[in-house]
Amino acid sequence: MSVLSKLKEAVICLKAGRVTLPYPAQAQPVPEKFRGRPIFDAAKCTGCGGCANNCPAREILLFDLCQEIRILQYLGRRCAYCGRCADVCPEKAITMSHEFETGTNSIGDIQQRVELFMSTCQRCGRCFKEPSTLEQLKLKGYRVDDVAHERWVFRSKSYLETEPVVDDIKIEMD
Amino acid sequence: MVAREKLSRLKEKFGTAIQRADLPGAGRLFVFVEPAALKAICQHVFRDLDARYIISIGADDRPFSGKFMVAHNFAFDKESLLTSIATYLPADNPKVDSISDVVPAANWAEREIHDLIGIEPVGHRYLKRLVLPDGWPDGVHPLRKDFAWNQVPEGYDDTREFKFDEPPEGCTVVPFGPFHPTLDEPAHFRLYIEGEMVRGCEYRGFMVHRGIEKLAESVLTYNDIPMMAERICGICGCVHNVAYAQAVESAAAIKPPPRAEYIRTIMLEIERLHSHLLWVGLACHIVGFDTLFMQSWRIREPIMWIAEKISGNRKTYALCVIGGVRWDITPEVKDELRKLLDKLEAEWTPVVAAVSKDKNIQKRTRGVGIADRALVKNMGLVGPVARSAGVDIDCRRDHPYAAYDRLDFEVITEGGCDVWSRVLVRAKEVFESIKIIRQCLEKMEDGPLQLTIKDELPVGRLGLSSVEAPRGESHHFVITGENNRPRRWRVRAPTYQNLQGIPAMIKDQQLADMTISLGSIDPCFSCTDRMETIDLKSGVTKVWTQEELLKLTRTKKT
Repeated sequence: MSVLSKLKEAVICLKAGRVTLPYPAQAQPVPEKFRGRPIFDAAKCTGCGGCANNCPAREILLFDLCQEIRILQYLGRRCAYCGRCADVCPEKAITMSHEFETGTNSIGDIQQRVELFMSTCQRCGRCFKEPSTLEQLKLKGYRVDDVAHERWVFRSKSYLETEPVVDDIKIEMD
Repeated sequence: MVAREKLSRLKEKFGTAIQRADLPGAGRLFVFVEPAALKAICQHVFRDLDARYIISIGADDRPFSGKFMVAHNFAFDKESLLTSIATYLPADNPKVDSISDVVPAANWAEREIHDLIGIEPVGHRYLKRLVLPDGWPDGVHPLRKDFAWNQVPEGYDDTREFKFDEPPEGCTVVPFGPFHPTLDEPAHFRLYIEGEMVRGCEYRGFMVHRGIEKLAESVLTYNDIPMMAERICGICGCVHNVAYAQAVESAAAIKPPPRAEYIRTIMLEIERLHSHLLWVGLACHIVGFDTLFMQSWRIREPIMWIAEKISGNRKTYALCVIGGVRWDITPEVKDELRKLLDKLEAEWTPVVAAVSKDKNIQKRTRGVGIADRALVKNMGLVGPVARSAGVDIDCRRDHPYAAYDRLDFEVITEGGCDVWSRVLVRAKEVFESIKIIRQCLEKMEDGPLQLTIKDELPVGRLGLSSVEAPRGESHHFVITGENNRPRRWRVRAPTYQNLQGIPAMIKDQQLADMTISLGSIDPCFSCTDRMETIDLKSGVTKVWTQEELLKLTRTKKT
């Protein structure tokens, strides 16, 4: 009988009451483990580049200005907030914050740039001890990502050229 | 062993046409055959041995063997066996016999191979462009290895228009989509209408093809891909995440620790709970029954919160890496999850009781969107669509993965073949999911979450994995490769097969039933970019524009 089921449905609705939350005026607190925008701590970072090697969205760029200065730039555009960077960071320099309302009119608000002083290593200049074999990427040594145009360059070098210029798109085939 | 028995039957019948075979473990069989015999073997497997067609895969293997590869995957559901029948083709002008006239479900897959790899299926009756955009030049195939992932092909023509078929005589064309309130993703149907009746349709989709497979084999690495895989789908993302990880694990003979398997199972079932409640609400919304839409979404919301608590996000769980999972289920979460399941069961039971007797919704859904056994077999339909036609298939039981072989649950089937049966199947599966999670929480043992992988993964091995998504079977095929990434990764989402059944499901039905028929296979909803608010005190109505909404979300000030 349909009238009976309509009555039953009405009871379900009345029992539920009002459940709408006052978002966006007031946001619910997020749980402890929430993965929001990653925050880079320049004081802890050693510049190993593990995060850049393991970012699925390729949102972390590395640029070796010279032997001693490495620039790490977080682009924050396609970042999936997966937290892999924080997972592989050996110094726990990356924390997944509770920030999730990251909509902005200027992307600079969420981008982060870390300038790191790198001491000279006797072997490759840049070492990263990967937690497992699968975390490695065959990009060791110096990295010359295109920071100006905010894109990855799929190449690394064992020595620094005086002028690292990469504009040939074919090079990205690796 | 089943695989051996199948192989010996094939060898008996086809003799030397079977070049070699690989039986890597329980439930998997790879047969490499001569190209000339491929069609006959597939016909034998599909018709005589009564296997279920899953998908066809094309791969560019030229850098490694100098050849192209085509594989047709079949499942023997009763015998828990997944089979791949593969063949290698010469590098120049690759051609393969089309199997789509004996296996109609292979229609799309062969057109896709033609588009993306450039292997011509000889004898295909409808070799029209399927995946590539309208302006893409002919003869350029993006999944070939000599095509860079970021290359823009020469001769791309924005102005080129897609040539649609002529409608049958006496029919009017009604365009449905690419943007329609009941579609969340763009897909275009040209419906051929005679009066109020739909007589046929032409489909043009793949408008959001993102090239994730190409990225995986050229840019990403093994442990990056799970995070991308779960972005294939907005509703069953975790399914793709797990299916990919399992496909690689099956190729590389890695067994994740038992605790990881239980956690995978729990997360998959949490996803199924939220997806079923979402879809039941959505289907009701499409037929105008908004009461149940609101209530099932209200009941669903705490599931999203618990997922957020476990994984750190409501929907993208980022759960798997190769050889394990990333998130643990702590004792506190365990207690909370148990309480949540009790509440969910207590709330969902009266809803199902009320709705299953409701005449209004039955009038809109009974006898609508008919997919019978024959269609399920021929088009390879999966999931609730198949189960609503009484076809008893469920990968959780038929091809057990994660911890499902240690759990006790029922596969819900109905016999109505229509949308109403699909509503019932999905509404009842909610209770089975609750049962499964409870058992997992009981049986879950302590132990590590991830396996430490010390050696590089073996190269050139094949892996298959089928995972039962809320919508049906999600199938992943992987060939492992060099440079810490797969050579080829093929994803077949359940909708890939189910959508091919749509032309038959809407034929000779009222135009008004089109939306729910389509909605019955693919639970998605349309985001609108404007909304309306009414001030209750003054009664003033205000329509919000996209800019105003953006401003509101960013500044929280109007």
